[in-house]
Amino acid sequence: MPSLLLLDGSPRGPRSNSMKMLARLAEGWEQAGGAPPQVLHLARRADRELAAAVFKEAEVVLLGLPLYTDAMPAQVMEWIEALAPRPGGGPVLGFLIQSGFPEAAHSRPLQRCLEKLARRLRCPCAGTLVRGGGESLQLRPDCSNGRLWALLRTLGGQLARDGRFGAAEAAALAGTERYSRVAAALLSAAFRLPAAQFYWNRQLRRNGAWDRRFAAPYGRAAGS
Amino acid sequence: MRITILNGEPGPGSPFHGYVHRLAGCLRDSGHQVTLLDLAALDLKGCSGCWSCWVKTPGRCAKEDDSARVCQAALDADLLLAASVVRMGFTSSLLKRAADQMIPLLHPHFLIQGGEVHHRPRYARYPAFGLLLGAGPDTDAEDLEITQAIWRRFARNFKFRPVFSAVADRSAREVADALAAAA
Repeated sequence: MPSLLLLDGSPRGPRSNSMKMLARLAEGWEQAGGAPPQVLHLARRADRELAAAVFKEAEVVLLGLPLYTDAMPAQVMEWIEALAPRPGGGPVLGFLIQSGFPEAAHSRPLQRCLEKLARRLRCPCAGTLVRGGGESLQLRPDCSNGRLWALLRTLGGQLARDGRFGAAEAAALAGTERYSRVAAALLSAAFRLPAAQFYWNRQLRRNGAWDRRFAAPYGRAAGS
Repeated sequence: MRITILNGEPGPGSPFHGYVHRLAGCLRDSGHQVTLLDLAALDLKGCSGCWSCWVKTPGRCAKEDDSARVCQAALDADLLLAASVVRMGFTSSLLKRAADQMIPLLHPHFLIQGGEVHHRPRYARYPAFGLLLGAGPDTDAEDLEITQAIWRRFARNFKFRPVFSAVADRSAREVADALAAAA
């Protein structure tokens, strides 16, 4: 069984939603007989430098990251800039993109970019996992994510056994690609309800920032 | 027209860096008001995903750095031009760092926009958006197309109206004229 290098590309580091998901993939990898992976957090400069060096010898690499302003976080791009194709080809390379938006469509252009990176580095690509609604992992207790964790463990096992993710399981993880017009209209109405913005409103109130929630320090505020 | 250029080229001695400066000069010669930000010369600490700019200091990054200057220059412009060489299949990490620290320009609340979930605008007005790419030694047509697709999505999320995208394979004067015509 080859070794696995887990690269956490979240700027939040170990407490990130990306890392929570990567940890479940790693559990599936280990349940399928793989050795515990090496984990590096690309938000840390020292880990970033180490990851560029370790990549040269790695057998299977799984890079997980949050979608930041429609692409990889800057720290991940900094790591990518330090890579070069390995003579004879690179490790098996897989990706996990998790996004705060619920639809998978937001992540697809970045998926193309990362899969092109695998080709550029002459790495066999294990596939790209896309998951929306990642920020909701902060809201819910771990015990309520049982189905998601089970699916991620299955995908981790597939990576260990087959060297790639199963298409059906990856599609199940991605969920909704785009909303239908009817669903979008219903969501549009729902977003006008304060309860739909609960996650942000609760934090604004806790931080004493509620009265400043529409602050516009660089120009004229929307709706003014 | 007020134009803000974010120069994402890290090397001040590189040909692309010189090209961007010549472009700014051509635009000024044509009567435009240009703010050229060499991002390599700014202190940009990068986004750490703390969301302070949404839930603690709404509208402002909590970090003491030059990201406020980038946000102000972007909002002040009629047209925001992001410029970078494409290396390893995407624009520079330096330009990405600036983009990541622009999220205070949006509001955390969600809405439906064009059938998709996006963030609510914080401002009444946003600039038009342009992208100027340089082709690196390992860049092919697919890299440019993917990079443009990602930045189109960025513009859409940030309520910027995409009006221009070009590769720096023409003279700076020609690109300046095309940019002014597009905006």
